[in-house]
Amino acid sequence: MSSAHVNDGRVIGKRMLRKEDARLLTGRGTFVDDVVLPGMLHVAFVRSPIARGRIRSIDISSARDLPGVLAVLTPNDLDPFNVKLLSFFFTPAMSVPVPLLARDRVAYVGDPVAMVVAQDRYIAEDAAALVIVDYEEEDPVVTIADAKRAPPVHPGMESNVAAVMGIEKDDDLEEALTNAPYLLTRTVRHQRLSQSPMETRGVLATKQGDELLVYVTCQSPHLVARYLALALDKPHLSVRVIAKDVGGAFGLKNHPWREEMSVIVGSMLLGSPLKWIEDRWENLVAANQAREQEMTVRVAFDGSGKLLAAHSDYSLNNGAYPQGAEANIAVHMFIWAAYKMPQLGFFTRGWHTNTVGNGAYRGPWGMESLARETMLDIAARELSIDPIEIRRRNLITKADQPCTTPMGLPLEDITPAECLDKLLEVIDVSAFRAGQAAARKQGKYLGLGIAVYIEPTGAAGQMAPMTGELAHLRIEPTGKVTALMSTHSQGHGTESTMAQVIADQLGVAYEDVTVFEGDSSRGGFGPGAAGSRQGVIGGGACRRAAALLKEKVKRVAAHILDADPESITVENGVVIVAGAESKTRSLRQIAEIAYGEPARLPPDTESGLEAQYRYDPPPVTFTSAAHACIVEIDADTGFVKIKRWLSCEDCGTIINPAVVEGQIAGGLAQAIGAVLLEEAGYDSRGNPLAVTYKDYLLPAISDVPDFEYVHACTPSKSEGGFRGVGEGGAIIGPPTLVNAIADALSPFGEVPLELPLTPTRILELIERRPLTGKTEAATTATSAPATPMTAQAGAAQAAANATLSSPAATMTSASHAHSAVIGGCWNMVLATPVGPQKIIGRFNTEGDVLKGVLESDQGSQSFAGTIAGNRLKWEMKVTEPMPITLKYDLTVEGNKLSGKVKMGLFGSANLTGERA
Amino acid sequence: MSEHKIELTINGRRQQATVEGRKTLCDFLRVDTGCTGVHVGCEHGVCGACTVIIDGLAVRSCLMLAVQTDGCAVTTVEGLAAPDGALHPVQQALRDEHGVQCGFCTPGVVMTLAALTDGPKRPDADTLLDAMSGHICRCTGYQGIRRAACKLASKTGAEKP
Amino acid sequence: MKPAPFDYYAPRTIEEAYKLLAEAGGGATVLAGGQTLMPLLALRMSQPFILVDINKIDALKGVTRVTNSAGSRVERRASGGPQGEAQEAPSTSATRIGPVVRQNEVIADETLRRCLPVLVTATRHVGHHQTRNRGTIGGSIALGEPAAELPATAAALGASIEVRSVRGTRRVRADEMYLAPYATALEPDELITTIEFPDWPSDTVPLFREVARRPGDFALVGLVGALAIESGRISRAGIAWFGMGPVPMKARQAEAALTGQSVAALDVQSIAELAVADTAPFDDRHASAEYRRTVGRRIFARALGEALNVRQAA
Repeated sequence: MSSAHVNDGRVIGKRMLRKEDARLLTGRGTFVDDVVLPGMLHVAFVRSPIARGRIRSIDISSARDLPGVLAVLTPNDLDPFNVKLLSFFFTPAMSVPVPLLARDRVAYVGDPVAMVVAQDRYIAEDAAALVIVDYEEEDPVVTIADAKRAPPVHPGMESNVAAVMGIEKDDDLEEALTNAPYLLTRTVRHQRLSQSPMETRGVLATKQGDELLVYVTCQSPHLVARYLALALDKPHLSVRVIAKDVGGAFGLKNHPWREEMSVIVGSMLLGSPLKWIEDRWENLVAANQAREQEMTVRVAFDGSGKLLAAHSDYSLNNGAYPQGAEANIAVHMFIWAAYKMPQLGFFTRGWHTNTVGNGAYRGPWGMESLARETMLDIAARELSIDPIEIRRRNLITKADQPCTTPMGLPLEDITPAECLDKLLEVIDVSAFRAGQAAARKQGKYLGLGIAVYIEPTGAAGQMAPMTGELAHLRIEPTGKVTALMSTHSQGHGTESTMAQVIADQLGVAYEDVTVFEGDSSRGGFGPGAAGSRQGVIGGGACRRAAALLKEKVKRVAAHILDADPESITVENGVVIVAGAESKTRSLRQIAEIAYGEPARLPPDTESGLEAQYRYDPPPVTFTSAAHACIVEIDADTGFVKIKRWLSCEDCGTIINPAVVEGQIAGGLAQAIGAVLLEEAGYDSRGNPLAVTYKDYLLPAISDVPDFEYVHACTPSKSEGGFRGVGEGGAIIGPPTLVNAIADALSPFGEVPLELPLTPTRILELIERRPLTGKTEAATTATSAPATPMTAQAGAAQAAANATLSSPAATMTSASHAHSAVIGGCWNMVLATPVGPQKIIGRFNTEGDVLKGVLESDQGSQSFAGTIAGNRLKWEMKVTEPMPITLKYDLTVEGNKLSGKVKMGLFGSANLTGERA
Repeated sequence: MSEHKIELTINGRRQQATVEGRKTLCDFLRVDTGCTGVHVGCEHGVCGACTVIIDGLAVRSCLMLAVQTDGCAVTTVEGLAAPDGALHPVQQALRDEHGVQCGFCTPGVVMTLAALTDGPKRPDADTLLDAMSGHICRCTGYQGIRRAACKLASKTGAEKP
Repeated sequence: MKPAPFDYYAPRTIEEAYKLLAEAGGGATVLAGGQTLMPLLALRMSQPFILVDINKIDALKGVTRVTNSAGSRVERRASGGPQGEAQEAPSTSATRIGPVVRQNEVIADETLRRCLPVLVTATRHVGHHQTRNRGTIGGSIALGEPAAELPATAAALGASIEVRSVRGTRRVRADEMYLAPYATALEPDELITTIEFPDWPSDTVPLFREVARRPGDFALVGLVGALAIESGRISRAGIAWFGMGPVPMKARQAEAALTGQSVAALDVQSIAELAVADTAPFDDRHASAEYRRTVGRRIFARALGEALNVRQAA
């Protein structure tokens, strides 16, 4: 630790080394799985292998009888607790109750059906595999398009609309749009993402008398404690929540959900401490995800590229049980907020499907910046205006403020135009364009993308959980400073940044300030990391509380030292009386008197040196930024190489540049993942396609360039002048990168606004021909039907089914009344772990008997089976790669067929097909 | 289901244990020996958080069985800093360069860099960065990790002084 | 995500190992480096009754050179397994690699760097540094992941794989080893005991290209091979694709077209067409089949062109 920082007074604005790193670098952090309680038992969940269906029966007897198993809990055990799952806003999460464990029906693959409690996780998983659930499978609703036309996912709901706001067609707006000189319409599609904190979800709960003690990885122990009190609603129950260290959250851990609540209730029911640590497979299958959304934007310009009007029609896949049904109104609030947009309208809907629920993810409304900034570039290209110029013509500048957006947001100090100017000081656009033109002649494709945005941060006072933040400060009798905060770090470094603010304000050394967070019994309520708020509001609370405390120090010291309070300063932990060196005292000397000798204090003065302040900032504090990114695209492979990335953000007064840059960089890395790599998708039967990190591709070190930063530093109106910076990179990153890619590929055409931009999608544009084609109908058989089951880490489908299916579980399709034509030739695709395997099936029917041959270029094998209505079943024995029996169970509907193939202990794989 | 007696060295201390054949090394280190700095991020060998050093080599502890370490010397992140708390050079570099946010992937990153830089040759930056591709960090965007790795690297690829 | 129960054995000899496999009657799985098997166990996609850990068998380790006539090859006399014998005559000199040699040992091995530079290059692309510290050459070859580097390298370079069981010893040509994804010619009771790479002439040009989403990921498209050159002509070509079909795909038509050709007169593009004609790629979530074919054609042409340009310039 450098002593230079100790002595020069101010630590705000310096790259102070983080306090938490000493323990995190040495493996001495305390994450939830590191906590062990006497008598602790372990939980594994039994989860649905199908996306939608009825539970006919659950047989837990074999599981319960396994040695080491203490209980197998089902809805019958947990439902009497009558737990009400709430949204982040403490309202009912959705219009129908969200069950803890699925009762009667399952609504997505991974839906928890039963909960095994055992002496260790190994045995718990052994037992979970022995729970036999009999399902009656139904056709799932998977996509937004499915949701729009399918009957409701949830019985009791009228449709699949989870939430809706806005107007689809407003006459005035329609007129403005249609009469405009130039109208641009595009649909932007954003794939589903997994937040993927490196620490998965986890909880350890124990009830000790009337105190429920919960260790849980979360974004605010205070919020979780409040949530639990409301959701459990038990008289005489006190709740304490502890989360010392948290391994990232990004919105996933805003509040407990079905599994955590099941474990908490289970611990109360069984009277034992229960621990559940989500494994990564569960995290990718059953932890709420984010972002699957599409938005059609219509935006009208005049001939000079000035904005006239816009309408956005947005849909968000809420999944079955979102952590709050929503239509993401924020998307529309902010889409044009930084631009002079005279007239706008929106229509916004959330949809229920048979997929895992929607949760929060860093910058949940970020779709607005993606759509706006990419479409501005398209408009600029079509109108032959420079993309920088089209922004300059429309951005709200300092001179335009104060003003109010059409959606009612008051703006007084946003700086997107100024950030853009600063950005352009450090990037020579014309030199880039010259280099780009020269490179193109050599077949090298460089692109420059620029994007601009504003972001609401530090919101408070208008929604239940979005309160002010609290700082409780003490100068201990030792002279050291303790802070108890409402804030909470999941990597944000608030132990350090809050200490920097306090140290500066109090006049003590950074090293002498210790910040305690992570325990609901300390500090006070705060929602934690939600909406880029902790630096802004927590920092403000620290300043105010420190000012109060310093005032008391001065008052007490003046009285003790017989001096004028105005003559007293505190510097580096020393109390100095101006002009009276002999009266210099250490803070400790003053504190010892303040605590231990109340008689020496001024009259009517409370003993001790303690102060508390709950700071309520302005309702919202805006952060602005402009980013630029330069890419090179390999025209042979469609791979994108990011060569440079510059960020110019205005997060007001910077507490710690290293922390600010770390937040920007982390958000940008996630943006790069979203644009190029990550995708948590489903097949048509609702089976998740990325269930390991072999298939869910997170950015690696080689995917993320060295970012360059320009800090604008316009102090905000909030105490201390801070602005939030937690989410910005994740919001502004995607359009910046997409714009760079689109610029590089502009000689080939327009890049589809559909994430992720995979090498295949990019090469399609370069080649000007489809590379995906009709994959299902392709005829190139690639492997023998006799050997569909193979073993591979990252094998999506088999992994999903292998770990989900209990050996005796039956997979049945819904019965269909109509009969189908079955005989003939079928092109089929089996979704094996190594990807789709093409098989040609030739079927002959003789009454209820089905005979046929499966062929691929590896050979053919004949079989015989049964037909019941449109349902086909047969078995085939194979010897490679090992002797197993494949059990086919398919349903024919018209010219399509689908179903599953059970592959012994490997679980099952989905098979789809079309008549050849 | 077989059980096995093993004897190994963990962070310089000899230990004996009886382990079930199927128990993974990461679970053994965390649960049986209290080395909770070994973080389990994916349990299928991709994220690298559980990386430990076995007989001088960085390996994923989720991809080994505990029983396989019979007779081995295992070092976890708890075994690197000096008894007086002084950080290992790798830990210090990561701290100085702000290579840590949530700290969950950190122990694995530390162990790979320590295994490579504690060897007889100090690798060049490319070698260290190549090895860093075996670690997933969701927080930092790798900025500080890359700076730390470059700081730890030999400029020339030559022998350590 | 915890493995299902199994009995663990760590035999010290090859004989003990294959006896265990035979006794298990197909219920055993061999644990080599474990870098792929361990996730399969954790996901319970693999649930063997018995796990046979071969890491303690010293006879399966090490790299040796054999430069001799067939007569002195003890293992050939003992060969003749139940499935018949690979008929190709062995080269007069070869490098024999024990299956439990770690991938990072392959990269560091002086003999392999000298005799099999393509293998060393390919192995650098296998997984990550940390997994290469445990992962073995034999494990990768036995697994038969179609997008993996080492099975294709073995097939391209004409390696043969010696396998043993209670029923005897036999050799399998690497290009006949793979039947389907993860399905190999290995019987459940057989153990790989050696991978033998024949020597290529000293004037051999390596070929290696891989396109993967991230470093360490399985290839979307990859090719590996060698071209032996004598007096300005290609005297021998061995090329295989990975990630381009259900198994490592030998580019047989391209090999035939290259063999005997003058280096100076090659039509790189048409040979690339021929090379892609011998593939059978499929769609998966990381790339489409047509993407693989398109990129394969290009990287093949580039790899071949660059290799021969370098050759001509030298």
